[in-house]
Amino acid sequence: MPKSAAFDLDDVSVHFGNGPALHKVSLSIAPGEAVAFVGPSGAGKTTLLRLLNATLRPAGGCAAVDGRCLGEHTSAELRAVRARIGFVHQDLSLVPNLRVVQNVVAGRLGRMGLFASLRAMALPSHAEAERVHAILERVGIGEKLYERTDTLSGGQQQRVAIARALYQEPTAILADEPVSSVDPARARDTVALLTRISREEGLTLCMSIHNLELAREFFPRVVGLRRGQVMIDAAFADIDDAQFNKLYELTDNELLADGA
Amino acid sequence: MTARATTVHALHAARPRSRFLRFSAVGVAALVTWAWWAGRFDVADLFSARREANLMRFLEDVRPPALYGKPWDWGVALDWAATMFTSGHQGAAFELPSGWEALRITLAMSIAAIVLAGLVGLVAAFPAARTFATADAFLPGSERSSVARRRAWTALLIGTRGALLFVRSIPEYIWAYLLIGMLGISAWPAVVALALHNAGTLGKLDAETVENLSPRALRALRGAGASREQIAAFAAIPSALSRFLLYFFYRWETCVREATVLGMLGIVSLGYALNEARIRGRYHDMLFYVLMGALLVLIGDLVSAIARRAIRKA
Repeated sequence: MPKSAAFDLDDVSVHFGNGPALHKVSLSIAPGEAVAFVGPSGAGKTTLLRLLNATLRPAGGCAAVDGRCLGEHTSAELRAVRARIGFVHQDLSLVPNLRVVQNVVAGRLGRMGLFASLRAMALPSHAEAERVHAILERVGIGEKLYERTDTLSGGQQQRVAIARALYQEPTAILADEPVSSVDPARARDTVALLTRISREEGLTLCMSIHNLELAREFFPRVVGLRRGQVMIDAAFADIDDAQFNKLYELTDNELLADGA
Repeated sequence: MTARATTVHALHAARPRSRFLRFSAVGVAALVTWAWWAGRFDVADLFSARREANLMRFLEDVRPPALYGKPWDWGVALDWAATMFTSGHQGAAFELPSGWEALRITLAMSIAAIVLAGLVGLVAAFPAARTFATADAFLPGSERSSVARRRAWTALLIGTRGALLFVRSIPEYIWAYLLIGMLGISAWPAVVALALHNAGTLGKLDAETVENLSPRALRALRGAGASREQIAAFAAIPSALSRFLLYFFYRWETCVREATVLGMLGIVSLGYALNEARIRGRYHDMLFYVLMGALLVLIGDLVSAIARRAIRKA
């Protein structure tokens, strides 16, 4: 198993009920790379991340993790792929009335049998508790190990979600708008934390993010999506404001729809 | 011990704990152990030789009479079932009602009962809802009301809730048992019994639905000078209607089942036919009525599921 994941999309299309969510997207992400996904709401950023997490099947084309198209995987193999990809959800998706340690231990469910996971949830072993503590310390909330998750602040809960992804021992981390609901100082902190840990561990990192300044500060490469298509794929340094404005500008139709 | 192990150990020792959860877990374990021990449920009892013989005889008896001692034949069995469905058993010594008649009466009883229960529950829901049955409904602190007025509203609330609690705390079977003494043996005791118990249940569920309605629309109408009755008609019932109907159909399902059971008291529903067949030792007829009952519940569940899905979408 490689230490960090490579993603290759070739002509990938995804359809939901009302038209294409992604249209003939081709994209290569090398192991250990850090990429920011930007673009207006509804452009397909979340769809793209779900595709990389192997939780979505493309309608056409090949979405490959480590060189193998997802369509060729059995469901057991898909589980194995997902188990090695950490996903930080926008809404955190933690179980509020469990202790922090239990939420973090859940990160490894994809590689545990039913009984092993029930045991780990009810009675985490010393070794597990210490591993979780080490990760929590890394994200800055070691002392919260045994607290109930819903007693933590929003920023702290976000760190629990990141710790859960790290406990997966992932080869890549995907983060969907991880900073859209926190204040600017915490947003910067979180992006810094995710990029630093990914760099130190050599993990591939893909993050969808609305805040262009933060993206520019922490990510060398940017992928700009609009209406399910890749409009920008370049080093941040090579892109000027005009191109970003064009990415976000509303068409007349969208203006009318928003105004209605 | 490493430094981390010490830290984790200290954190573990200092973790927040719920004493209540602990005690109740121990309490539940103790109670379960006691119940099994005190009830003397001996598992060996279930499998004694005599029971086995009984079971074998029963399995032989549930075959249709035309098939006694012969190999199983679906054609004969279905013919017999069809006769039972259309004309029942017409013997010299006793008669058993046709499956169709028993089915029809059971269904009619359940429908009559749930309609009554639904109407009573709907009317009772408002005086049983805290948001309606107060002196300053929807706009707390908005008017000065006398102590007597406040008490009167509280009395209405408690009275309605108490009445609903009382009628639903007595099971349908017991209600029917008591009512047979008053109304004689007909379908009425069963219908009234079902209606009473379910009115209590529906009244309570509907009242909670009304209490949980978002107060904005109700408050706005109150602010425009509307009375409680007007608010109920124009805002509360329309916004709670789909939920009321969901509960209505859910309770109807239970009514269908209970209408069968109530026949055991001598009221001519499926349960009556079933009980008669058992008393006469006609296990094959009994099995037929049991299957009719299952069919009826299946139909009820299906209709109810379709209606509830349609309501949820509407």
